[in-house]
Amino acid sequence: MHEDDVRRNAFAMPLENPSYPPGPYRFVNREFLIITYRTDRDALERVVPEPLEIVDPLVKYEFIRMPDSTGFGDYTESGQVIPVRFRDQTGGFVHSMFLDDDPPIAGGRELWGFPKKLASPTLQVERDTLVGTLDFGPVRVATGTMGYKHKVVPTERALHALQEPGFLLKIIPNVDGRPRVCELVRYYLRDLAVKGAWTGPAALELHPHALAPVADLPVLEVVSGVHLIADLTLDLGEVVHDYLA
Amino acid sequence: MKASEVRATAFAMPRHSPSYPAGPYRFVDREYMTITYQTDPSVLERVVPAPLRVLEPIVRLEFVRMPDSTGFGSYHGAAQVIPVRFGTETGSYTRLMFLDTHPPIAGGRELWGFPQKLASPKLEVDRDTLVGTLDFGPVRVASGTMGYKHHAIETDVARTSFEAPGFLLKIIPHVDGSPRICELVRYTRSDLVLKGAWSGPAALALYSHALAPIADLAVREVVSGAHLVADYTLELGEVVHDYLA
Repeated sequence: MHEDDVRRNAFAMPLENPSYPPGPYRFVNREFLIITYRTDRDALERVVPEPLEIVDPLVKYEFIRMPDSTGFGDYTESGQVIPVRFRDQTGGFVHSMFLDDDPPIAGGRELWGFPKKLASPTLQVERDTLVGTLDFGPVRVATGTMGYKHKVVPTERALHALQEPGFLLKIIPNVDGRPRVCELVRYYLRDLAVKGAWTGPAALELHPHALAPVADLPVLEVVSGVHLIADLTLDLGEVVHDYLA
Repeated sequence: MKASEVRATAFAMPRHSPSYPAGPYRFVDREYMTITYQTDPSVLERVVPAPLRVLEPIVRLEFVRMPDSTGFGSYHGAAQVIPVRFGTETGSYTRLMFLDTHPPIAGGRELWGFPQKLASPKLEVDRDTLVGTLDFGPVRVASGTMGYKHHAIETDVARTSFEAPGFLLKIIPHVDGSPRICELVRYTRSDLVLKGAWSGPAALALYSHALAPIADLAVREVVSGAHLVADYTLELGEVVHDYLA
């Protein structure tokens, strides 16, 4: 293969058959269980990177079903998002994420900088309860529960939450082990169509694991539970701060 | 967290709990079944990136068991490897690689540029046969077999396969989707302890799959089968050609 062809085709590895396509990444019927909880402010201070600022000592614990996603297929995700401020903007810093599918892990890490690991999250309706779980290998690390569709949330309010930017700390090492990329990335969800949003009684349990330390941001009090279904496009991002500059 | 701390602790994502440790990466009792076969030379010319050059129309399919590996644990792999020349040096180019655990996929891709995907490779002894298989989801894509320890291979001959360098095409996109890293990487293995090497009758079958296209390098004739057991350290690499420069 000629060098010009390598350059022309270079999007992701493997060169001939990349782990993920170039997008745009459309998600149809994406279903969220988001449990917002109050945590220890000192624990948050240790993990939220400057220049992001903590607003309130809150964490959003999310379980997400993605049954129909460009290039990524049908998979489930779970993780923690911390509400933050960046200059005059509010948004969410994605602190940890666990998925059961390789293309969105590889693409998520390498394109945007989503801090993703392979694990076994689930989100399903069990009779009267919306149940989210996260297992890392054979070990349960998170269980979230919510009453099913108890109270409707106005569409505009649900839409507003999805319109806020997300922030990521993208880190990629050089082949010698030194940091090659260390950037704060901002991204948006576009072309949103909210198909339903509900609140209800919610509970969340986190357990310690060496490689999935979700319990390092302990649950002091559950603030709210939201169940949300939407179509959306995950847009590519932009670098808003370069830690190596 | 202060920006200076972010920079000082940045090795890999997630920053607070990286998907892989910083190495050195020691493999104990790493076991290979390597089946060398002849393929169509014109297809090889299309897939080997310049400035690497094809030596002869030969491909190796490797099934690997790694029971004891720094940070990566106990896992299996399968790889399609092509003998190549770079300048005056001979080595091998890894075209495709499949693993069943995540830390070596994330680390392999992001540090070195190993073209790894998540799948279900396996290498095991079944009575009289060493059996290697590769499944991608529910679909079988490779099946290799070899008679168990029929003839010992001389130590000097076996060592040469570990002493030759490996070459990789490391590609990482920017957050806007444009290529950020597109490099030819050279890596070596060190502190080799060869624990055994055998040859025997070998056979290989490859099957087509949209996302695991190993059968694109068709098996014309099996040349040899080798069964190897060794300890070694996988060294970090060096960039020997920058396609974006």
